[in-house]
Amino acid sequence: MSNMETQVLPVAKAGPRDLGPPIVEVRNVEKRFGKVTVLKDVSLTVRTGEVVVIAGRSGSGKSTLLRCIDHLETIEGGSIIACGENMGYRQDNSGKRVQLGDRKVAKQRRQMGMVFQSFNLFPHLNVLRNITLAPVRIMGEDPKEAEAHAHALLTRVGLPDRADAYPSQLSGGQQQRVAIARALAMRPQVMLFDEPTSALDPEMISEVLDVMIDLSRQGMTMIVVTHEMGFARAAADRVLMMADGMIVEEAPPEEFFTNPQNEHSKLFLSKIL
Amino acid sequence: MSWSWDHFMQFLFSPYMLNGVWTTIWLSIVAMVIGCSLGVMLAFMKMSKTWALRQIANTYIWVWRGTPLLVQMVIIYTVLPKVGIKLGVVESAIIALSLHEAAYFAEIVRSGITSVNKGQEDASLALGMTWPQRMRYVIIPQATRVIIPPLGNQFNLMIKTTSLASVISMEELFRRTQQLAQLEFKVLEAYMCAACWYLLMTTVWGLIQQRLEAHYDRPFGPVADTDPKKKPDPVLTGQAAQV
Repeated sequence: MSNMETQVLPVAKAGPRDLGPPIVEVRNVEKRFGKVTVLKDVSLTVRTGEVVVIAGRSGSGKSTLLRCIDHLETIEGGSIIACGENMGYRQDNSGKRVQLGDRKVAKQRRQMGMVFQSFNLFPHLNVLRNITLAPVRIMGEDPKEAEAHAHALLTRVGLPDRADAYPSQLSGGQQQRVAIARALAMRPQVMLFDEPTSALDPEMISEVLDVMIDLSRQGMTMIVVTHEMGFARAAADRVLMMADGMIVEEAPPEEFFTNPQNEHSKLFLSKIL
Repeated sequence: MSWSWDHFMQFLFSPYMLNGVWTTIWLSIVAMVIGCSLGVMLAFMKMSKTWALRQIANTYIWVWRGTPLLVQMVIIYTVLPKVGIKLGVVESAIIALSLHEAAYFAEIVRSGITSVNKGQEDASLALGMTWPQRMRYVIIPQATRVIIPPLGNQFNLMIKTTSLASVISMEELFRRTQQLAQLEFKVLEAYMCAACWYLLMTTVWGLIQQRLEAHYDRPFGPVADTDPKKKPDPVLTGQAAQV
């Protein structure tokens, strides 16, 4: 682990960067699965160009928070503003929260890209079609342009010659890089990563993290749920610690690693580093 | 009772019998097509978020799977006219067979769709697809692989089940066999003929089904086919769809 960090993630970020206006605002969000409350009054503001890493033990609510931001989960209270949209809901005349229809939410989601732990590439389509499906069929992009864009993205994630391969012919690391390219093809304003390296063999983790670090350096706004503290060190502007459905600590990576305040953070770091 | 090859061969290729065979074939196909279409509709109703739609589908499936086709057929043919809905033999047979099939096919479609990995739904949602887009581009192409084998079995059953339409005097293979048997009291010969024809039909379908299943059973993508000189399939690479 430490060996890999020195290899692939040598450069720590040089001080705080210039960040743009808020692009994702999570306000007092409550989320319950049945009787279990998984998010308790969670608030979080992410600014344009910022890279936020969310850490925490499994069951702490970090993946749920990410899924709520893309409205893959409903929320019971609070609101999430992303890219200027109130995700999944609107206020009716009396100020009550009303769930938006399928088409409205679909439109909202197109501004954000999401990468999953289990890649979720479409197994019946080759790599090129995986990437161009949404731009062509949903955004109505010109197929030729979409393909050119897809080839450019494949080059960017280091897979310029796998356009014709099917997901089943790729390794996990390659599949995840295609999944990143697929999300980028929609030209998202924000990228959400849900434990993108947790399902990978150790030797493939770095190839995915490299792509993500590269993305962060190009100014992409990213919210990353991960256990890879090497990535946090190399690319994050902020690290959040979640426990029991709450954000218990929030700090720049250097501070978080050298001087964690919260008990959960200390325990987490002692186990992971 | 002695076996007569003469009668057997005479029955086997008599135009009267062949006509019945043909009726059985088209009746099976028509009932299957209508039944499957209704079945797909029922499956989506059953998976709907709307309570009423779900209940309608559930009740339909409950009733049609819980009663014998024979009873359904007789009710449609003899009872409905008493409430003013008069249907001919052919219409009654088609309606009974396809409504019955729909109840079974609905379950097949539903299990096919639910068999698609939940992550596929997540990925297509995250890409901003609406429900019809998710179904069309992601879910149904994958569900088809699961649906094809039981669909084949249903058609095999359908070919044989059409014989029940004889009770409402539909002139298909079984009824014609009955009549031939009574004509010259060559019962065994006549029914052996019918058995042969049914067996031939289900066997031919079995061969078609095998090919279909082989096609849908192979993994996605050209696994064995790695010849780089071969032109990629335009359908698979999506170039065909864009022309």
